[in-house]
Amino acid sequence: MSPKLWAVIKREYVERVRTKAFVIGTILGPIIMGALMVVPMLAARSKSKPLRIAVVDGTGDLRGPVEQALRDAVDDDRKRFDVQPPAGEDAEAAETACKKAVLDKSLDGCLSLPKDAVSSAKASYYGRNVSNFSDIRTLERTVSKVLVTRRLTSAGLDAARVDDLTRGLDLRTVRVSEQGEREDKGAAMLLAMILMMMLYAGLLMWGQAVMTSVIEEKTSRVVEVMASGVPPTTLLTGKLLGVGGAGLTQYLVWALSLLGVSVASGSLGATGMPEVTWLMLASFVLFYVLGFLFYAALYAAIGSAVNTAQEAQSLAFPVLVPIIVAMVCWPAVMQSPDGPLAFTVSMIPGMSPLMMFLRIVILTPPVWQMLLSVALLVLGILGAVWFAARVYRVGILMYGKRPTFPEIMRWVRHS
Amino acid sequence: MNEKALVLKGICKAFAGHVAVADLSLEVPRNSIFGLLGPNGAGKTTTLRMVMDILGPDSGTIEILGKPADHAARDRIGYMPEERGLYPRMVLEEQLVFMAAIKGLRKREALERIGPWLERLSLADWRKRKTNELSKGMQQKAQFIATVLHQPDVLIVDEPMSGLDPVGMDVMREALIDMRRAGATIVLSSHQMETVERLCDRVALINRGQKILDGSVSEVKARHGKNTVALAFEGDGSFIESLPGVAKVTDFGQYFEVRLEDGTDPQPLLHEAAKRLKLRRFEIVEPSLHDIFVEAVTGHGKEAA
Repeated sequence: MSPKLWAVIKREYVERVRTKAFVIGTILGPIIMGALMVVPMLAARSKSKPLRIAVVDGTGDLRGPVEQALRDAVDDDRKRFDVQPPAGEDAEAAETACKKAVLDKSLDGCLSLPKDAVSSAKASYYGRNVSNFSDIRTLERTVSKVLVTRRLTSAGLDAARVDDLTRGLDLRTVRVSEQGEREDKGAAMLLAMILMMMLYAGLLMWGQAVMTSVIEEKTSRVVEVMASGVPPTTLLTGKLLGVGGAGLTQYLVWALSLLGVSVASGSLGATGMPEVTWLMLASFVLFYVLGFLFYAALYAAIGSAVNTAQEAQSLAFPVLVPIIVAMVCWPAVMQSPDGPLAFTVSMIPGMSPLMMFLRIVILTPPVWQMLLSVALLVLGILGAVWFAARVYRVGILMYGKRPTFPEIMRWVRHS
Repeated sequence: MNEKALVLKGICKAFAGHVAVADLSLEVPRNSIFGLLGPNGAGKTTTLRMVMDILGPDSGTIEILGKPADHAARDRIGYMPEERGLYPRMVLEEQLVFMAAIKGLRKREALERIGPWLERLSLADWRKRKTNELSKGMQQKAQFIATVLHQPDVLIVDEPMSGLDPVGMDVMREALIDMRRAGATIVLSSHQMETVERLCDRVALINRGQKILDGSVSEVKARHGKNTVALAFEGDGSFIESLPGVAKVTDFGQYFEVRLEDGTDPQPLLHEAAKRLKLRRFEIVEPSLHDIFVEAVTGHGKEAA
């Protein structure tokens, strides 16, 4: 590597890494990421104390079995309900008393079964908090089961046999991969989204950092001094590598802390954590690097053609199109990671950094598809850099009126 | 050793719609101070950019220090462009080290040389400060240090004095002269004709992309003949313009520079002026570069139109 290129890379890198924004971003990133992953897990685990609830029974003979069933109800192997006796035998008075108890916080909730609960299959739950879905679902399932059992026994079936016949489904979701099986409770989806968002934000942020840096060199007029010492292509290359290196440093810190969180939570025996594989980490970094080079080259071209950041906005829009399309497509890709849409968008250079990465996190695609996607992206990068170098050469010395798109294309053809 | 620092042969450069430089040839002798003159838009900056390979010429050749121009040769040039600039958020010392590094100078040597230069240009206290904290004049001096730190054999400076106070101008002038004494060649582009007249050995005047004058300062002046009269007086000198044989009057109020038509005897002018004005000075002088410049440029303009 020529000493000049090295000097440019070093300057760009050091100037970026020294800023407060970089230091704060690098430290805060993992903290936010950790919080996003650990907090739901901890929340799920500590899920507070069991709910204190009372059962007000209008039917007159369901309280015993319902209370027993609630006492036995478990979620994640922990009892969820602490059943308290209702205030009296009279259903209406008891319901009023219980609601009052809920209000003055001596109870968390009150389950009220109307007189015709068995036949109408209706019940009410009164609580201060009725949005804790998993508890409500457990409650609903438990009571429903008692009612079904009651209906079946009254139809003449043996209680024990009914219990045996109506056992509910306990569905475990297990993610199968080459590395083995692992129980997954939706966390993989969350992880995929978080990582893709980081990639998305990173590509835009660092791509635009290159654009800003080019515009600053024009505004401060330092660019002619630079161009007199360093060929424009070296200058552009140095900028891409230097700024990209700073971004990569941040990404590596983030990726390693992700691995750290994953390993640490694994050793803590947490079951809710998704597995972070080496393939995921490697593609996280690889697609950042490749995606950055693709977008940063285009952003550099734009930066060189304009005079101010405001002027850049309208020219920058076409560059944003692929990444926006990718962001629109991701729910569909997530739903059907092997479908034709997923395949297509994970091959198109501007979109593949996000879409192929998403597919890799959800479901490892065939190797040939990963290789093809990377190869196409590399071709895209070569094209983008070739284009950028030609625009950059002319653009950095142009001041005054913002060039139109046809004018920029003329620079590309003639330089 | 080749006697020429820079040789340009038949350089042409056209941009969309107009010709910036048309068949320009120049020779800059080694160890001289060479003034590159011309009105705004004449093609000076374009020419210098082609020397520095910031722009490629459409045709023609450029030789630097006796060899065809290449990157290594250009590293021996220090270039301070008209559109100068420094990285605003960099610390001055790091900025200078960086600017020297892109010209191939190692950090250790750069650090050694920075001290004396900062002392000389009274910037020593600013060494560890950010560039955007420096005043415009200080930035100008910093830019100069950045240009010369790698001890170039050829120094190309565009308006080196602009933005400097009189003390700064003196320091800058001494620095340029010292560098020439040390063997460097200096190409100076400026509109400050007095500076050029005093500093330069040779000048070339460019207008509309073409060279219209070239030679040593004394040759150029001699070519214009000794037909300029400097007059200092008290009174109303407006009648002088209408006297026979007067080609042109440059009016400074109480001081006139009068160009006479070729072969005109200045004696009648002296008599007339002495009769009607209180003369303090009457002297036959060489034309100033300023006048030669104005005449050449406007005259050329008329021809072309």
